[in-house]
Amino acid sequence: MRLAGRFGGAALSLLMVAVLGFFLFRVVPGDPVVSMTRGRPTTAAMQAELRAQFGLDRPLHEQFWSYFTSLLQGDLGTSFTFRRPVAEVIGERLGPTLLLVGTATLIAVLLGLWLGVRAAWRRDSAFDKVTTGVSLTLWAVPTFWLGMLLMMVTGDLFPSRGMRDTDTAPDFVSQALDVGHHLVLPSVTLVAVVCAEYALVMRSSLLEEMHAPYLTTARAKGLRDDLVRRRHAVPNAVLPAITLVFLRFGLVVAGAITTETVFSWPGLGLLFYDALTGPDYFLLQGLLVVTAGAVVVMNLLADLLHGVLDPRVKVV
Amino acid sequence: MLELRNLSVHYGPKRVVSEVDLTLAPGQTLGLAGESGSGKSTVAMSVLRLLPRTARVEGEILLDGDDVRTMSWGRLRAVRWAAASIVFQGAMHSLNPVRRVGDQIAEPMRLHGTHGSVAELLEQVELPREKARAYPHELSGGQRQRVMIAMALACGPRLVIADEPTTALDVVVQAQVLAVMKRLVAEQDLGLLMISHDLSVLAETCEDLAVMHRGELVERGRTREVIANPRHPHTAALTAAFPVIGDPAHRWAEPAPEPEPLLQVRDLVVDYGRTRAVDGVDLTIGRGEIVALVGQSGSGKTTLARTIMGLRKPSSGRVIFDEAEVGRTGKALKAFRRQVQLVLQDPSSALNPRHTVFDAVAEGLRVHGLADEQEALVTAAVERAELRPASLYLESLPHELSGGQQQRVVIAGALVLQPRLLVADEPVASLDASVRGEIVALLLRLRRELGLASLIITHDLGLAWQIADRVAVMHQGKIVEQGTVDQVLLTPSHEYTRALLRAVPQV
Repeated sequence: MRLAGRFGGAALSLLMVAVLGFFLFRVVPGDPVVSMTRGRPTTAAMQAELRAQFGLDRPLHEQFWSYFTSLLQGDLGTSFTFRRPVAEVIGERLGPTLLLVGTATLIAVLLGLWLGVRAAWRRDSAFDKVTTGVSLTLWAVPTFWLGMLLMMVTGDLFPSRGMRDTDTAPDFVSQALDVGHHLVLPSVTLVAVVCAEYALVMRSSLLEEMHAPYLTTARAKGLRDDLVRRRHAVPNAVLPAITLVFLRFGLVVAGAITTETVFSWPGLGLLFYDALTGPDYFLLQGLLVVTAGAVVVMNLLADLLHGVLDPRVKVV
Repeated sequence: MLELRNLSVHYGPKRVVSEVDLTLAPGQTLGLAGESGSGKSTVAMSVLRLLPRTARVEGEILLDGDDVRTMSWGRLRAVRWAAASIVFQGAMHSLNPVRRVGDQIAEPMRLHGTHGSVAELLEQVELPREKARAYPHELSGGQRQRVMIAMALACGPRLVIADEPTTALDVVVQAQVLAVMKRLVAEQDLGLLMISHDLSVLAETCEDLAVMHRGELVERGRTREVIANPRHPHTAALTAAFPVIGDPAHRWAEPAPEPEPLLQVRDLVVDYGRTRAVDGVDLTIGRGEIVALVGQSGSGKTTLARTIMGLRKPSSGRVIFDEAEVGRTGKALKAFRRQVQLVLQDPSSALNPRHTVFDAVAEGLRVHGLADEQEALVTAAVERAELRPASLYLESLPHELSGGQQQRVVIAGALVLQPRLLVADEPVASLDASVRGEIVALLLRLRRELGLASLIITHDLGLAWQIADRVAVMHQGKIVEQGTVDQVLLTPSHEYTRALLRAVPQV
């Protein structure tokens, strides 16, 4: 029953995303036909023909209906700028984003949770003060600024643009090494921002548990301090953090926009940025549906996982 | 076995325990009584060095001759639970919510290398062995407390410290848990140090009694003698504060002669899904009458009260107030609720921690659009609730007040709308013995001066004896018996009422 409710809720959210995706970008200033033909001499007739080709001359509700029905069939339309199906364009860019976001999230989760646990357990220690201070700073700093700073500081140590060099040998090992090399700066930037949040949330959630009576029980039983923490405190405190990690993973996909733009990482974020300058309606709609869909799906997963980890939550 | 010599505990400049001397021989049972803030729990926690780091402990704490204070951490960990274990108060929070209780019982056994089985331990406390697989939230309060006892016995300690082990339980469950503890302590010849604010609970279980007051040990002796002939005035106050059912000196209410009905409940039924929580209840409260609704947790008494107040829709039946049926529309309900006000059990959670006393009391006025003369009305209500002079309290925040003062603020918040009926859900259950008496006296004075009727919901039969004119006994959604206090509590006719009365611990 509950499970059905959760899925129903997620489906409803996706529907809202689809509707919003259409109307939201119609408000973005700019005429796609004008930007498409920028730099080339065009007549009004040619522009009208382009409009007809993309269906932009039809009334808004008709446009919406054809967008919505094809969306249900998995067709996201055709991009103005790429002149190719949106699904195909997004598909190409999905890999790099998943690689970047996946790597960054994994590192950020491990590092952030560890930092948060240590900081909370030794509250007001030098370690806690430094961790909290640095986390707050990193969290507050604009991502693009941090990225550019990293670029300047590291100099030529790491490549700062793109995902691979054109002159790398085609074998798998060299390619992987090259991508890994390119991955360093963007993922460090992303880790710095996301990890700070995880550390702060984990810290405050553990601090709330620190005075829980069951920890006194555990101590009274004769458990070592680190066992009290590992066996009793952390499994309770980690629950809100896990929800956040999953929610964030969805958001990070979208949130990588600035990082990808700064480092010209050929992922969804950069694509989003490019599509906005059009504005490339169909591409924007498609990107919104995909990224918002990721958030909704991750949210659902977080709910389900919470039910597995916390016996007090009955999902089924 | 346990010897405290000159034990003092400070938190910063504040001294919470001062120069306590206490000894406990093997097999001896000692009760440690006192109100909140008397330092009794601090003493208990110091035995296994469980006080927070900020506490400064002086004196000696000898456990089997070793000073707990100066033990190495390794030695201390070996002693914890194996030499002495603790049954903590409020087992819901003292058990880890995300681990199965069986694992939690087995944990100290693995740690200290004790042989034994969880199933046997559970059987000792009269729980089926399958309960080992349950999580704490799947057990009732009484079952959780049994799990705590089983856990405390896991490593075969010779001393068990029980810190308010039955405080959150209702009388019947409390009697069962106390019986289990008494039996195990006798069978295994354990030393027991039991801490409680409730003298009658200690009288049931302990041969010796020590009383603490403001950090000092004021009295120590055989339980019977201490209670019969208290030497210290504080002990006397504690014994007097717990009403003895049947003792006319503890009966404070002066019964009103057959008042006219104010609120009538007729054949009320409330269903929660397929569960029938309230099953055909008839109840009448007269003008200025105090009616006690008693029953165990889960008997449906709180649901009945909520339904009477219009906070829940009944499945069928009628509520008649002042000879008119209470409407179910928003407007009619709002007018009705002004006449009927609720006082909740735990004032510290009933009050918004960020609202001053003035805001808390004035809220009802704002809700009912009575903003004129707000200050005068609030001041009058606060003074009615005996916080005098009101100006001293109006700007205070809840955490600056004592528990008794907080409850007075809650009562003032109800009084400000000049209601005719108070519905009080366990109004004194979370208060100390001395404060409890004051609040009971306040409710009686309000009745005398304002003609305010009350419906007191409680599992505490002593409170019913103290305050009520009539008693209604609720069991499994039905009122099984009702009548005057004397009839119901002295000559009960229903078997369930007799069972309830048997479970009340006697001083």
